[in-house]
Amino acid sequence: MRLDDFAIDNCLKCALCNTVCPVLAADPQYPGPKRLGPEFERLRREGISTDTEWMEYCLGCHRCDLVCPHQVNASEMIARAKAEHRKPLVRGLRDWWFARPGLLGKLTTILPALSNLALAVKPARFLMSKLMQIAPQRSFPKYTRPDLCSSARAASTSAKTARQRVVFFPGCFIRYNRPELGRVVIDLLERNGLSVEVASSECCGVPALANGDAAAARSAARANIRAMAAQIDSGLRIVTACSSCGHMLKTAFGGVLESDKKFADAAQKIANNTFDLAELLMAQADAGELDTGFQRTNLLLAYHAPCHQRSQGIGRPWYHLLRMIPGVTVEDLDAGCCGMSGTYGFKQEKYPVSMKIGEELFVSIRAAQPQMVATECATCQMQIEHGTSFKAIHPAEILLRAYDRTAPDASRNACSESSKDCSSDLCECGPCRQKPEGRNY
Amino acid sequence: MKSDRYDVVVVGAGLCGLTAAAAAAHQKMKVALVATGPGSFVTGSGWLTAQDVQRASSAPDLSEALAFFCELARRAGSPYAGDITSAKFLPTLLGDFQSVALAPLLLWNGEPRDDVSTAVIGVLGLSGFDESFMAERLSEQARAIGSSGTYTARQISFSHSIGTPVTTLRIAQLFDRDSDFRKELVCALRAAASGFQRIFVPGMLGLDSSEGQIAEFKSELGCAISEISTLPPSIPGLRVFHRFERYLQKIGVELFRGFPIDEVVIRDGVCAGMRIATPGHAMNLRGLCAVLATGRHSPSPLGLACAGRDHEMRPLDSTGALIARNLFIAGPQPHSASDKSDAMRILTGYRAGNLAASTRGNHAS
Repeated sequence: MRLDDFAIDNCLKCALCNTVCPVLAADPQYPGPKRLGPEFERLRREGISTDTEWMEYCLGCHRCDLVCPHQVNASEMIARAKAEHRKPLVRGLRDWWFARPGLLGKLTTILPALSNLALAVKPARFLMSKLMQIAPQRSFPKYTRPDLCSSARAASTSAKTARQRVVFFPGCFIRYNRPELGRVVIDLLERNGLSVEVASSECCGVPALANGDAAAARSAARANIRAMAAQIDSGLRIVTACSSCGHMLKTAFGGVLESDKKFADAAQKIANNTFDLAELLMAQADAGELDTGFQRTNLLLAYHAPCHQRSQGIGRPWYHLLRMIPGVTVEDLDAGCCGMSGTYGFKQEKYPVSMKIGEELFVSIRAAQPQMVATECATCQMQIEHGTSFKAIHPAEILLRAYDRTAPDASRNACSESSKDCSSDLCECGPCRQKPEGRNY
Repeated sequence: MKSDRYDVVVVGAGLCGLTAAAAAAHQKMKVALVATGPGSFVTGSGWLTAQDVQRASSAPDLSEALAFFCELARRAGSPYAGDITSAKFLPTLLGDFQSVALAPLLLWNGEPRDDVSTAVIGVLGLSGFDESFMAERLSEQARAIGSSGTYTARQISFSHSIGTPVTTLRIAQLFDRDSDFRKELVCALRAAASGFQRIFVPGMLGLDSSEGQIAEFKSELGCAISEISTLPPSIPGLRVFHRFERYLQKIGVELFRGFPIDEVVIRDGVCAGMRIATPGHAMNLRGLCAVLATGRHSPSPLGLACAGRDHEMRPLDSTGALIARNLFIAGPQPHSASDKSDAMRILTGYRAGNLAASTRGNHAS
């Protein structure tokens, strides 16, 4: 994906981008990336307005950019046009919140129990649907008081012998919804000789860009650069376990700071030093430093590569890592986009198209009949669990669990509180094993 | 084996690169395929004209390479029909007949047949497929080559919402996903085909439909059918491409799609790998051997450094010195007219894949 002003001239109108667009395949009325991107961009550069509601319907999956033989960055052109698009009041207000999951996380985790109740009860969901146009069919992930920093710091001081230090960028979902997944990531890294600091980061800015809020994306990017200034200067590698955070960091926050030289340099430095968790573990494997003492785990998995994992161009590291575990069989589904795209699937007017996009993936999961689906994106997991009866979890949990199937770990601890809401999918405690449905393991 | 280290790294996924990757993978090599697009599959149907085959006919290993390619296509679930010793005339979008040696099965029924009446069926609103013009031209062309077959234009329309403008892509996507649409298409085509022995339709019968779905569609239709490849994106071409890609992945080829080559890393006369322009930091794919199959329309990743190639397809600089002994340049020679054929693409891809595999064997120690 070459980002320069000439990209538009590279478009030969072959429409290959249209052949991979998930939205176009689901809704024939959608104009497609060729038209919304380079074709309209020519007009926009002449000062002619091309604003249409369809701009909101771009998922930002970057599949069009990846397939273009001439590196035309269609989805980035659409993202810029999306930022200029004016929405009706209610949708605008809803998307303002959706663009700020960090703020939402901070507020909801002041009193997480109350927030979870408010987000789950039917009358509240009904009101959200009526007043905010949030799809009533969706369930919100549970919020938890963020405690990742303290536990991680305590853990990392014990790893003084570690040869390398890395910075873990948790992202909003791990920070506010699944801190125990963050601990799994830290355990995995520490187990493989890396000492981990948790970045006091903010939202990466992907939701802001996706919701057409360039100002919020810029402010998130600046806040992250300020928060990680010391770590950037010392050249530490930054690790992400969320593919969208990874994509955002690696693309220098989607180029939102291009005009701000000081921040743009720091953003580029972050981009150069950012690694996906699996990418880093594969690098450890290449250096002969990956602990491969996996216990036999008889498990049939289906792997779904999130769009923002593919857009990083790192191959399929999780697919290969999971296959290192003896007894594990992995099928790479390669069945396109799940259709959730972060907050997109939560929007009432986009819910039908979101589900239609996911249908191909759902069908391939049902055909594979795995014991569970592994995918590193939290919202892909939500969509898979919503669209099928299969459990979807982050592959890091499977990998950590395979090291020692008897030792207690973070994910296991989580289940002792309530087996009904057990968030560990590899849990083998009595109540979990006896659960008859909703669990395919 | 390290994750970023391969026996053979192939750059390019057109006819040439796909064949090279498959040839190396069939020799039990660990292969990485790096590509930014589907080569000529987006513009054409993937067929090989008789002229293409003729141009490459002096090569002793041509039939071996094409047999390998046809076997590859069969295993990938996109079988080709025809052979290299004979050819038949198939219709084009311009209402011409082109002499074709090998073509995907769905295009193979289009030859002029004596006393056979053919309906050329267009779709209401579909631009770039003018059935009246084609029927008229095909009738003329058929007469010119002494065939008594007749061609008549027919048009169908759908009650399904297929968007504006109507494109073969949208029809193909609906064909893949929506069984009701397939039923409606069969009904519409059967009505339009009434009184005819054969129909020609735009290339639109699905991008990813299984062989079973296509067979069911054909049997419900009940008459001979042939697709005609349309303007880009060519559905028949991309269908072949997708099947090949999926097959390669199934036999263990790792695909790296979407990012161009930044640099071919050459040290001391040896290609050490490819730097791919991935976001953040470039990915370095190391290979014991590499094949460049980037086609005539993209700038060579070697830039101006490469002035030609030796008899083992390795790149030479302007003084005639070898640039890298484990790097193979497949595809047409830049200034050779005889090389500019799809058969030559397959042939050089096949050769390069095998050369890389055997060279890798020598280097493995």
